[in-house]
Amino acid sequence: MITRRSFLKLSGAVAASLSVASMFPDIATWAAGGKVEGKADFVRSFCEMCTSRCPIQAKVVDGKAVLVSGNPDWGATGGTLCARGVSGQSQLYDPQRIQKPLIRVGERGEGKWKEVSYEEAYDYIAKQMQGIKEKYGPEAMAFGCRKGPHMSYLYTFAKAYGSPNTHNHESTCPLARTVGLEVTFGTAGLGLDYGNCKYIVSLGRNYFEGINVAQVRGVMNCINKGGKLVSIDPRYSLTSAKAHEWLPIKPGTDLALVLALNHVFIRDGLYDKDFITKYTEGFEAVKASVTSYTPAWAEKETGIKAADIERIAKEMAAVKPKAILDWGWRTTFTPEEFELRRAIIIGNMLLGNLEVPGGSFFSKGPGFINGLVGKPVVQGIAGFKTPPFPKPAKPRVDGAGVKGHPMELAPAGDGIAQAVPESILTEKPYPIKGYFAYRYNPVVTMPQTNRVIEAMKKLDLLVVCDIYMSDTAMFADVVLPESTYLERDEGFNDYSGGVPAFTLRQQVVKPVYNTRAHWQIFKELSEKMGLGAYFPYTNIDDIRLTQMGGKQDLVKMGKEKGFVNFGMKPLFLRDKNSVAEFVKQFPDAQSLVNEQGYIDKYLTNLKTPSKKIELMSQVAQNVFGRGVPVYRPIQIAESGQQLFIQGKTGLHTNGHTHNVPWLHELMPENRLWMHPETASKLGVKTDDLVEMASTVGKQQVKAYITEGVRPDTVFCYMGFGRVSPGLKRAYKKGVNSNLMIPTSTVPVCGITLQTAGVTLKKV
Amino acid sequence: MATQKRYGMLYDSNKCIGCQACSTACRAENKVPDKVSRLQVWIEGPKGKYPDLITDFHRKSCVMCDSAPCVPVCPTGASYTTSDGVTLVNEKFCVGCKYCIAACPYQARFLNPETGAADKCTFCHETRVSRGQKPACVSICPTGALIFGDMNDSKSDISLALKSQRAVKPKEHLGLKPKVVTVPNWRGGDA
Repeated sequence: MITRRSFLKLSGAVAASLSVASMFPDIATWAAGGKVEGKADFVRSFCEMCTSRCPIQAKVVDGKAVLVSGNPDWGATGGTLCARGVSGQSQLYDPQRIQKPLIRVGERGEGKWKEVSYEEAYDYIAKQMQGIKEKYGPEAMAFGCRKGPHMSYLYTFAKAYGSPNTHNHESTCPLARTVGLEVTFGTAGLGLDYGNCKYIVSLGRNYFEGINVAQVRGVMNCINKGGKLVSIDPRYSLTSAKAHEWLPIKPGTDLALVLALNHVFIRDGLYDKDFITKYTEGFEAVKASVTSYTPAWAEKETGIKAADIERIAKEMAAVKPKAILDWGWRTTFTPEEFELRRAIIIGNMLLGNLEVPGGSFFSKGPGFINGLVGKPVVQGIAGFKTPPFPKPAKPRVDGAGVKGHPMELAPAGDGIAQAVPESILTEKPYPIKGYFAYRYNPVVTMPQTNRVIEAMKKLDLLVVCDIYMSDTAMFADVVLPESTYLERDEGFNDYSGGVPAFTLRQQVVKPVYNTRAHWQIFKELSEKMGLGAYFPYTNIDDIRLTQMGGKQDLVKMGKEKGFVNFGMKPLFLRDKNSVAEFVKQFPDAQSLVNEQGYIDKYLTNLKTPSKKIELMSQVAQNVFGRGVPVYRPIQIAESGQQLFIQGKTGLHTNGHTHNVPWLHELMPENRLWMHPETASKLGVKTDDLVEMASTVGKQQVKAYITEGVRPDTVFCYMGFGRVSPGLKRAYKKGVNSNLMIPTSTVPVCGITLQTAGVTLKKV
Repeated sequence: MATQKRYGMLYDSNKCIGCQACSTACRAENKVPDKVSRLQVWIEGPKGKYPDLITDFHRKSCVMCDSAPCVPVCPTGASYTTSDGVTLVNEKFCVGCKYCIAACPYQARFLNPETGAADKCTFCHETRVSRGQKPACVSICPTGALIFGDMNDSKSDISLALKSQRAVKPKEHLGLKPKVVTVPNWRGGDA
């Protein structure tokens, strides 16, 4: 018999060794109450177990959701899905969800609540928010959430109230990449075409654990067609396990490696000269800046052999432009993060991989296509007409997008999340007194957990809208339960990538508990506060029809297929075959095509100051004196310390899924990965307790001894070690990575560091 | 006259990323109670000496032997093989004696705590395969690591894959002729 115990024993990489706790009811049985043999309905929708938002279909039997799988008509995923997506049904029927609106009756964080009606909850919130506005001004309320289609409802509510302080989670994730792309291209809307690529270098990008199904399939396609994957990561991830090469780089030195690759591309004339001449600005500055960054120099910094660096550069150049240096995700090891992302982007441009299959490409949303053709040929998502927002009296506390502020380049639409607890605690630049956290859990997902908790406790008002009693919700004054994505209808979501497309979220089953959809909650709450004019829709049909410009046929297509597309094939502006296809569909675009069969005017008409791709950025030069990336060695761990890094597992999403029954059962806790050398110095074996301490936190962790991490580095999967007793399964299980990380804000891009030096001792 | 079907499956461990989408979909599709599983993927590793490491992936489920030892030991006839080569359990006839569990060298069977009957992978025979669909695990797998189909049809995906792949039968020396075969990890050094 395959026991769970034997499974765990062998699954060092994924699972933890915890004896089976029988503290939760049998969700599988409960959920699948209907007979599968009966008549099944299929509802098309899109997932919300992570931010990839894969198109799905859910099977419904006798009014119960019984299997969530991928949407078979969506080509990029072809009906497939990951374990998190399939587990959506166990979340849906979980009795540990928040079932009714709650108002706090005990001390903050004590866990004493009164169940109330939505009316009572709205009245309470409206009164408190009105009080904060009168006493401190509307800017004293801050509003945070995950990025996604739901974000606009929170932001509209915030702006209508009069506060400029809105943010999402991007500054604790990929914001450096966003700012790097915007500085270089005038937009961050770019993608990578893994499936047609011949050589992928991943710098800590962990495709097979930070799962985006379409990208997983793309990378696997690349490998299957004989392409090469190189994983550069201090830890042997599951991506490293599938890669042709694993190079365990010294954490925090990726920039040295990339600069050395760029050095070889230029030194040996391997770069795409035509591309650089035609479409870019600042090559000479890049050339001058990388002269001294030889592979021999980089070997000393990174621990990767000079010969390997030389070889990888040459192998990439040999298959250019179908070669990708992945510009990555959440791997901020040093304050030089903006430099790293810029250097990676420059490397890609030296390979000339922009707008070709197997390289990088601009996202082709309706706006892009219509702009290209010069008239509206593709329907875009339209919005409602609302009154103008009141002008905020004060600038944002985080300075994002504020002219003249050091964080000027960080997009105001994303904001800088970690600035909010700082403003609460230091009252600088002015105090934040109220916080509205919508499906957002800063206590676990922001660095320096203890400081965030301190901040949450100091607030006059904390409102949390979520589906679980999260670690932030436990400190709230009011908790509003939202319906899960399987229980609510929603509007269209722009899902454009290679082609314009929208996905549609549809209700699979009626709400299991007394919960409501966000578009309803924000409308009702706003009406209570006299701000109803900013939410002028009446129901979901109204929202959808308005979004599709009144076109019923598009709404119908969305409901039936789960998405709307326009029969386009992916367009690469520097690929004559796809350009020819495009012109066949939109003959008005014929005049754009040059003698090579390209539409490359766009590449010299970008929204950058020079209108070209800026390898050297005058904007960056002005903001912090470095227009091209240069290397400055950074020491994060001190002598005697280990470098603590963290990462994603394919079984959980940030601070979101650890209490979801099926996912919890697959991975209930994490452990601290350490190399046998490190372990023998400490005298610890696997599952021994170790005390891990940084400048900001201390916790006991279970050791997992493995050759799969550098001897100077320790690693754990993020999102565990939960503090909310309301998360009955996940409570106090495993290591909270963010407890160890000091709050910081990296220059230019506003991202927070995700690493720290730690000392370890045996307990 | 069409030839008899003979269903088989290929598990390419090189394409498997251990994401557990298959085991979760199996749980949902087949209403498998918590704490028992018809299907798991074991991740074994990292193994080796830093930095020369490998991680192996193993599918653990019924391998649908042609000569299934679980069938003849069943005293009530609850354990049987369908005409298309799928070993199944009729839970109405199962008395929970566990002979079949003991007889299975692949440790693929367990007692279902809800029905009290022996339970295991069925290739989703009743709910999907008999309706012309692929088993849940095959249809959900993001990387295409699983190929399923009729091995008697020379043009089926599975037949074509078996011709071109270096698949091995688990515990082949036992002579049970399993119909779930594995492409071993080439990072293990044999490619």
